[in-house]
Amino acid sequence: MKRLVVAAFSLWVAMGFTVASAEEWPTKTIRLVVPYAPGGYTDAVARITANYLEKALGQTVIVDNRAGGGGIVGTDLIAKLPGDGYSLCVCSVGAISISPVAQGVQYDPLKDFKPISIVSTIPQTVIVNPSLPIKSIQDLVSYAKDHPGQLNFGSSGAGGLMYFSVALFQARTGTKMTHVPFKGGSPATAAVVSGEVNLAFTNMTDALPQMEANTVRALAVTSTQRSEFAPQLPTIAETVLPGYSAESWNGILAPASTPDAIIDKLSGVFKKMAADPDVQKSMAIAGASTVFTTPAEYRSRIAQELEQWRSLLKEIADKKT
Amino acid sequence: MMSVFGLLGHGFAVAATPTNLFFCLVGAVCGTLIGVLPGLGPVATISLLLPATFALDPTAAIIMLSGIYYGAQYGGSTTAILVNIPGESTSVVTAIDGYKMAQQGRAGEALAIAAIGSFIAGCFGTVVIALLGPPLALMTQRFASPDYFSLMVLGLVSAVVLANGSVFRAISMIFLGLLLGMVGMDINTGEARMTFGFVELSDGIDFVALVMGLFGVAEVISNLEDVSVRIVNHTRVGSIWPSFRVLKGAWGAVMRGTLLGTVFGILPGGGATMASFSAYALEKRIAKDPSRFGKGAIEGVAGPESANNAAAQTSFVPLLTMGIPTSATMALMVGALTLHGIAPGPMIISRQPDLFWGLIASMFLGNVMLVIINLPMIGIWVRLLAVPYRVLYLIICVVCAIGVYSVNNSSFDVYLTIGFTLLGYVLRKLHAEPAPLLMGFVLGPMVEENFRRSLITSHGDPMIFLQRPISFALLLLSVALLISMVMPSISRRREEVFQE
Repeated sequence: MKRLVVAAFSLWVAMGFTVASAEEWPTKTIRLVVPYAPGGYTDAVARITANYLEKALGQTVIVDNRAGGGGIVGTDLIAKLPGDGYSLCVCSVGAISISPVAQGVQYDPLKDFKPISIVSTIPQTVIVNPSLPIKSIQDLVSYAKDHPGQLNFGSSGAGGLMYFSVALFQARTGTKMTHVPFKGGSPATAAVVSGEVNLAFTNMTDALPQMEANTVRALAVTSTQRSEFAPQLPTIAETVLPGYSAESWNGILAPASTPDAIIDKLSGVFKKMAADPDVQKSMAIAGASTVFTTPAEYRSRIAQELEQWRSLLKEIADKKT
Repeated sequence: MMSVFGLLGHGFAVAATPTNLFFCLVGAVCGTLIGVLPGLGPVATISLLLPATFALDPTAAIIMLSGIYYGAQYGGSTTAILVNIPGESTSVVTAIDGYKMAQQGRAGEALAIAAIGSFIAGCFGTVVIALLGPPLALMTQRFASPDYFSLMVLGLVSAVVLANGSVFRAISMIFLGLLLGMVGMDINTGEARMTFGFVELSDGIDFVALVMGLFGVAEVISNLEDVSVRIVNHTRVGSIWPSFRVLKGAWGAVMRGTLLGTVFGILPGGGATMASFSAYALEKRIAKDPSRFGKGAIEGVAGPESANNAAAQTSFVPLLTMGIPTSATMALMVGALTLHGIAPGPMIISRQPDLFWGLIASMFLGNVMLVIINLPMIGIWVRLLAVPYRVLYLIICVVCAIGVYSVNNSSFDVYLTIGFTLLGYVLRKLHAEPAPLLMGFVLGPMVEENFRRSLITSHGDPMIFLQRPISFALLLLSVALLISMVMPSISRRREEVFQE
């Protein structure tokens, strides 16, 4: 009821002052678009973020799920919305850094958005079926070299990070494995458990319960640093491929026309949010590490990732011809 | 090691606390309501209520959310039977004979059989989870892509049986369904297929939009056109309680539907929908007089309704024993558990015995609540038919529109529904039935996905489908079914030739 009153009041205020300046922002309900289905990992991050923003900004924050096309539908929607600070997106690495390179989208990830801050990151875990004689990431490289094309790896589809991280791994180690796409990360992880595929670079959240039950063997993580959730696992970068990085992140982006004053104000809020122990605890439950970046850092990270995947695709295409 | 009954007893102690009982009831009531409302499905409802459960204890939360899911299977048949609009995808086939029964003034009977069948199936499914959950989950682990492919082929072949009229039209409808199922992103290449530049179509055509258009709104249009159908509708309501004779006739169908649903529910991918379709096909196949089907056969209601409830129950098995969700609803359950700090995985039974056994016990209690809620409601639902159609059809259209919108919060899906309404109306005029189309639409993408994946894993060797025993047996069954369907028409043609 209270929310309803607040929402009605803010609507009234918004109509009264159609041109609210950035200093007064926010004066009405903020919409947080989530380009994924409710109940998923990004949705969890969004709800934690919305909860904190409501307290910090004193305005209602609605989570609006717009799932479809691996995040493209919702991301495309936010690119076309007016930049008034009342529409924000909890975007993710897939729709921002990979899809624009992999399959072409109608938005330009660097021109149509203003990045504000990454709020959470989650590494991928290299898991193999325990029946394989592969005990470490070094074993994986030498086994794959000895048996070219024979190892099958599962992925969430041709346009996702689960495929791209393995493609990068293959290109840098000079190995060749067979790609077996699934409809989503969860069935791909299940296929490693059942042995239908030999391995996958899977989300840490999906991998952890199976690791505990010894239904899969975890070899390494794909992030530049070890994960707090499985500190015993080495990174790919420290073992076989220095500089290797493929990490899933969720971050807040606004439409490109959003005033800088609002971006700065939000950046300050996210800096405090990353230090909030309650937020850190909730993120940890969802399997994520809480992170803060400045808008400039975030922008250069997106540009860097786009470049990494673009050159990888070119490399793969060149090899084929 | 406590016996299963000891553990189940402990589960009842957990489920029967006032709080958990209350949330079980809330779930059952919510589920019944959204089941009745066409288009509004458990996925949209659970995601809407998910944030509200954050304050609850995880067991209470999961009990309530599960109640919504299996409760929706009870309610889904109501509008299917009364006004030929399936409330859920699993009730599509229930509408074929259920609606005919309602037109004959046997709506009460059909609803009662649906509720009783659902209750028996729900309880049986729960017993199966309790006694056989973990071993069954291990069994499904043996199912790989080639086996799924062959299972889907069997499903497509039996889709022909769904048709009441010409086999040629049924096959055309299956192919049209397959074609519609192709729309969307190809997972092997990431390329968009037949989306015509609409990003909204990149995940394919939404099932709810398709069903609401082809069945729901198209039905409204043909009702508005044909006054005589409507008069039959609300002049004769009939007795609510089924006679002993009817119960006896439905009994076998309930049992077969329950068994079929229990098996299909455990398998990933559209388990409950596939279960209800197959149950209908099976009933029609083994009936002494298959021509009764499509004209108000009670088995056509009892079989599918029992099957979808049993499947709704057993679809929890892979999630609770392996941590593997097999449908969109189960993925939401994973989300709910994760947000409550419980990682669903193979260890969940030993780590969270309260949750596991409490949930199973709550399913028994929930099914009892549902049958108590639903049986007296039948009288009220049947009276709904007395509402003048000029009012009723507006309500139906508005509810359909809200339901379709709620799935993805997308107005694009509402426009799609309008398009499919036109298609549905044209198909009606051509006397082509939409049920085989839906079967093609549901199974087509799964056939393709599993076929291509099988060939990738076998490095291009098609013998993989014959080398795996499960796959081989299923393909053999498909061929046998196909021959048995073609044979009568061949011999009939011969007779005709000889008569000339």
